Amino acid sequence: MTVIAERSPAAEAAFEGPILELRRLEKRYTGTHALKPADLAFEAGEIHAIVGENGAGKSTLIKLLTGVTPRTAGEILWKGLPTALSTPNEAIALGINAVHQEVVLCPHLTVAANIFLGDERTSRGLLRDRAMTREAQAILDDLGFGLPAGVLLSTLTIGQQQLVATARAASRGVQFLIFDEPTAYLTRQEAAQLFALIRRLKAQGVTVVYISHRMEEIFELADRVSVLRDGALVGTRRVSETSDAELIGLMINRSIEQIYHKESFAFGAPILETRHLSGRGFQDVSLSVREGEIVGLYGLIGAGRSEFVMGVYGREPPTGGEALWQGRPVRVRAERDAIALGMALAPESRRDQGLCLNLGVGLNLNLPVFERLTRGITISRTAERKAADKQIRDLRIKTASRNAQALSLSGGNQQKIVIGKWLNHGAKLFIFDEPTVGVDVGTKAEIYRLFGALLAQGAGILLISSYLPEVYELADQLHVFRAGRQVAQHGFKAVSHEQILTEAMGV
Amino acid sequence: MTETAAIGVAPRARFDFSRLLGLTLIGVLAAMFLFLSWWTTTFMTPGNISNLARQGAIFAILALGETFVIITAGIDLSVGAVASFITVVVAMLLQSAAPPAVAFLVGIGVPEAAASLVGIWGAVIASLVVGMGIGAFHAFGVVKMDLPPFIITLATFTALKGVGLLMTNGSTINVTNDTFTGFSRGEVFGIPNLFMVVIVVAVPAYVYLHLSRHGRYLFSVGSNPEAARLSGVNVKAVIATAYILSALCASIVGVLLASRTGTGNATQAIGAELEAIASSVIGGASLFGAVGTVWGPLLGAFILATIRNGANLMNVNSFYQFIITGVLIIAIVYFDGLRRRRR
Repeated sequence: MTVIAERSPAAEAAFEGPILELRRLEKRYTGTHALKPADLAFEAGEIHAIVGENGAGKSTLIKLLTGVTPRTAGEILWKGLPTALSTPNEAIALGINAVHQEVVLCPHLTVAANIFLGDERTSRGLLRDRAMTREAQAILDDLGFGLPAGVLLSTLTIGQQQLVATARAASRGVQFLIFDEPTAYLTRQEAAQLFALIRRLKAQGVTVVYISHRMEEIFELADRVSVLRDGALVGTRRVSETSDAELIGLMINRSIEQIYHKESFAFGAPILETRHLSGRGFQDVSLSVREGEIVGLYGLIGAGRSEFVMGVYGREPPTGGEALWQGRPVRVRAERDAIALGMALAPESRRDQGLCLNLGVGLNLNLPVFERLTRGITISRTAERKAADKQIRDLRIKTASRNAQALSLSGGNQQKIVIGKWLNHGAKLFIFDEPTVGVDVGTKAEIYRLFGALLAQGAGILLISSYLPEVYELADQLHVFRAGRQVAQHGFKAVSHEQILTEAMGV
Repeated sequence: MTETAAIGVAPRARFDFSRLLGLTLIGVLAAMFLFLSWWTTTFMTPGNISNLARQGAIFAILALGETFVIITAGIDLSVGAVASFITVVVAMLLQSAAPPAVAFLVGIGVPEAAASLVGIWGAVIASLVVGMGIGAFHAFGVVKMDLPPFIITLATFTALKGVGLLMTNGSTINVTNDTFTGFSRGEVFGIPNLFMVVIVVAVPAYVYLHLSRHGRYLFSVGSNPEAARLSGVNVKAVIATAYILSALCASIVGVLLASRTGTGNATQAIGAELEAIASSVIGGASLFGAVGTVWGPLLGAFILATIRNGANLMNVNSFYQFIITGVLIIAIVYFDGLRRRRR
């Protein structure tokens, strides 16, 4: 056990060195070396970005810094003194806190109750609800979030909930705050509010560790950036002295041109056409997807793109207009109808919609095709095994086995299952809803190459993304959505980023 | 390079923990058998063992049906009430509907033995159909009315007790058909008939849950219904099947119980639902869904039956039996959870 030395508050305040220092910090799980010995010093008041592919060791590092998992070897120095940092409470007591990508708050409590959760204001053992709401409102207003403190958390968007989580951490005398991909679900406005808050925290002397897949954010925000690859810290750079090409090179040893891999094919017959299709959350959408074509749907979160594809796919059957499948009018009333026609959907949320997390990788991959693997009344175990192993091999899904639970895989590999389950199925139209959210650069490139392979087989693709470069670089036709409506339509790279953004935001 | 290595280990990972868990439950059962045959002289006697097999059989079938529902992350609180209600239904059919039907068949020239069999089987099958109807009602409540499984099955639990009591006027119907009541005492090759029924039920259940695609769907629905749905699984049909199968198993138990006790009584198996849930959980099923096997609840039921049987033989006050059972449920499930986490 590390002995924790005591030091007077005065001495602590006067300490000049790095606020947190890692010395040969290391973490092994049985079978994997999740973090190879790393030396890194975080300066007080800096914004330090950490980048790396999925599975590079970022989550492990966060868990070590927040006391969630114990380290295998090495030292952590807090203001120059070795610290055990073996429990989350110890981390919080020091002033280390983290804001996670997936909001971990209580949706059924009010915003104020969430902000004060575990640290409630009481008087004679009773909660002082009104005082807490007032105080929480003051905190939110002070941060410039413009969020009501009295409403239930579940009534806010995920982006707003993220801001609440940040406010919660910021209101607790935090000195070292870790953000784990905070903008994955945020709109641009929300992201801008978050960045303003982060800069404010920095001005107050808080050290911010910022983990993100988005290069432009790192260059906008961070002072320094460290790169992890395969569990090893491969370099730390001043942001002003590096480029995204260099960082990506460090992350994957692969050049940036290879990531957006666009192959063009001759377009064939229309696969899906919608005419004035309306349903819950979208109105009057007319578009068509042809063989060999990628049709992109761009818009802010909540613009009705996911609702539209869910309508097409039969999750919420449309209420007006019509849909044509290969030239014939069809009514898709359930997902099964859509799948029987030849549609495949990789939904927006891996965890909520894409995967049976506590079941095996193989079962997840085969879920749409069990009918085809059945001989008589039982499943052919051999066919089942082969089908799963083929996808695991072809897509290079990193998993201990086909029986490993889906939740044991990294985000990128989980996404490969969500997509891979449709490849045995032989669909004609592939709908990808945010296929690369929370996915590392390497997996991204693999997914884009897969698009090319599907198009080459004569399939069509509907691609939803909130990340403009993705749809911009890949879509043959780009439809811009705003507030449930189609507001513009462009050819491949026909207009500028700025124009598309303007259309999406309606300014 | 790491990828190929990862795929290379795949065959070894085929060893799944559920087998280990099965072995351990068998270990618990074997340990009890060893202990009881050493401690008492009455345990390892043919009479007691076949008695134990009969006692266990009833709960085993109930627990098996319950497991289907538990795998979907639901719960069926009605199985004890359904079984009780079906004892009333089958008893009434045997007492009032079967004799005139048999007399009619004999009248048109059917041999008496065959006619009597038709009468019994007619009553049994009609009772099972009634039971499946109750299951279909549960399915309707859960799937169409969107009621929590706990609520809809709690409601039928209460209501069925009332219906059964009304039908019997609060009393007990005696079954006078000796062929019917004789079944539960009979044996084939020295194996009690009731235990044979467990096998007859367990084999198709195994095929359904572990070998057919419907079983995979059941697990997927229990794990994440939305993902299953978007992958083309007919989630509503899968859930409905689970409740109908659970009620069917409960009805089979009702028929067997009527045969064993020779009575139709609207409350005789009330409370058995908790025993069924306990057996299922001891057998490794998770109340959060997506985890469960066919033989788990069977072993769980026989473990509980052995505890009860052994305690009786050792003259343990029956009040203590309840306490012992409660403590053992906690211990078994706790150690099972420990082992799974360590995995």
